[in-house]
Amino acid sequence: MATIEVHGITKHFGDVHAVEDLSFDVERGHVVGFLGPNGAGKTTTLRMVLGLVNPTAGAATIDGRAYEELDDPARTVGALLDGGMLHPGRTGRNHLRAIAKSAGIDEGRVAELLELVALTDAADRRAGGYSLGMRQRLGLAASLLGDPSVLVLDEPANGLDPQGIRWLRDFLRRLASEGRAVLVSSHVLAEISQIADEVIVINHGRSVAQAPLAELIARGGGGMRVAGPDVGRLREILEADGATVAGEGDIVVRDRTGEQIGRLIAQHQVVVSELAPVGSSLEEVFFELTGATGGPS
Amino acid sequence: MTRLVGAELFKLRTTRTFYGVTGGAIALVVLITVLAAALGDFKHEEHALRGAASIAGLSEVFALVLGILAVTTEFRHGTITPTLLAVPGRTRLVLAKLGAALLAGLALGLACVGLGLGLAAAIFSARGVDTGATSSDVVAFIVGGAVSAALNAALGVGIGALVRNQVGAVIGVLVWGFVLEPLIGIIPGLEDVVPKYGLGGVSNAVAGTGDSGNSLGQLPAGLVLAGYCAIFLAVGIALMRRRDISA
Repeated sequence: MATIEVHGITKHFGDVHAVEDLSFDVERGHVVGFLGPNGAGKTTTLRMVLGLVNPTAGAATIDGRAYEELDDPARTVGALLDGGMLHPGRTGRNHLRAIAKSAGIDEGRVAELLELVALTDAADRRAGGYSLGMRQRLGLAASLLGDPSVLVLDEPANGLDPQGIRWLRDFLRRLASEGRAVLVSSHVLAEISQIADEVIVINHGRSVAQAPLAELIARGGGGMRVAGPDVGRLREILEADGATVAGEGDIVVRDRTGEQIGRLIAQHQVVVSELAPVGSSLEEVFFELTGATGGPS
Repeated sequence: MTRLVGAELFKLRTTRTFYGVTGGAIALVVLITVLAAALGDFKHEEHALRGAASIAGLSEVFALVLGILAVTTEFRHGTITPTLLAVPGRTRLVLAKLGAALLAGLALGLACVGLGLGLAAAIFSARGVDTGATSSDVVAFIVGGAVSAALNAALGVGIGALVRNQVGAVIGVLVWGFVLEPLIGIIPGLEDVVPKYGLGGVSNAVAGTGDSGNSLGQLPAGLVLAGYCAIFLAVGIALMRRRDISA
């Protein structure tokens, strides 16, 4: 059974349709990447999953229940949401202690987690003086206080330095391997492509793709690039065979595998100097799916 | 619920604002009480202690602000998000804040009225002023002052849940208490009603320092003030439950 289940969730803020009929599942042991351009509705969706924003229609459940009906939310779901969410006058330690007290979590966990996110030295300073990365790490510590089986993280890599991002990546993989479900949103596609098993791509509040990462990358762009003195002839042969061929000079063949092209090359005794897969990235797929352009939109 | 109230009290006392508000209230009460008791002419005052209790009533305003801050600070700094993640039941959360505000208000009221009366009594006895107050008067002032501050703090929680905006809520109640209520009280036909049933008049009546000619007794005034709290809390909770917490 999926841990997080979202069914036809919809949110309208007045005339603004922030999220429209979105459905997806997140299972235990999986890291699911939640992608979309800024303003696509990612944060609103996550906030609906967490019972903070009331859906206009549809519902989200965790272990079959709405967030506010969970017996012990802090021990079930750990969440990190985008934004400050710290009282600037309260120390980092007291921020965690306040949450631990509210959730009935043993305060010994506070010191443990401060250690884990490397904030022990700064723990007794007022959080107003924390850097963005420190705030993010404190938020992450807060999300882990209850040792939850489900994690919902909104842009967790924000403000982290490269070392921190690498740590986070390994950490999330480890959490998933321990059998937890991890739903992580990001606009940093490279990050997601290194940790997610599956991705959900949304645009203008609607789902545009939900698939295992490898499948999604294979689906978009890609193809085989062929170079050599006889590519003009090969192009004719391929087109006669019904393949889609692009490019001038070097050609890119979309819908044939390397082996299929190799057989044609052998059969027709064409000379080529190169036959290689075109590297497709999540970024290209993402742009293709969301219709985003290079510039700020 | 005890745990949640404890957590809310912890949140209150881990910010500087809390110490600013409570310390400010106590300092102000002490300062004015000492000045008034030392310099005032009480030779013919029948109830000199009543004046001191009335000064200690300043704690009601500070308690009201404290109650407002208990809710609005969460919205101002976005801590409402982690708070609701730990305690998703919004009614429970507001009730926990109510409990914490009642306790904090009670303690603040007790500190102010206790200090105020104690200092005033000491100064009066040194000056040889006979306060003429019986011990039951003193008990009524202390209990009334503490309860009035506690109920004002509770009212603040209701107002905070209703308004959410910290600056707006605090300025709103100050303008209401110090400007609008006295102004409305001037309107013919309301000149008896507003001082009697307005927030200021009722709070003073609970503390036992109301205008003797036109004031409710301490118990009925306490019930009226509790009623105001209930109205604001009910509307505040209803709104809290419907709200989208998006920042």
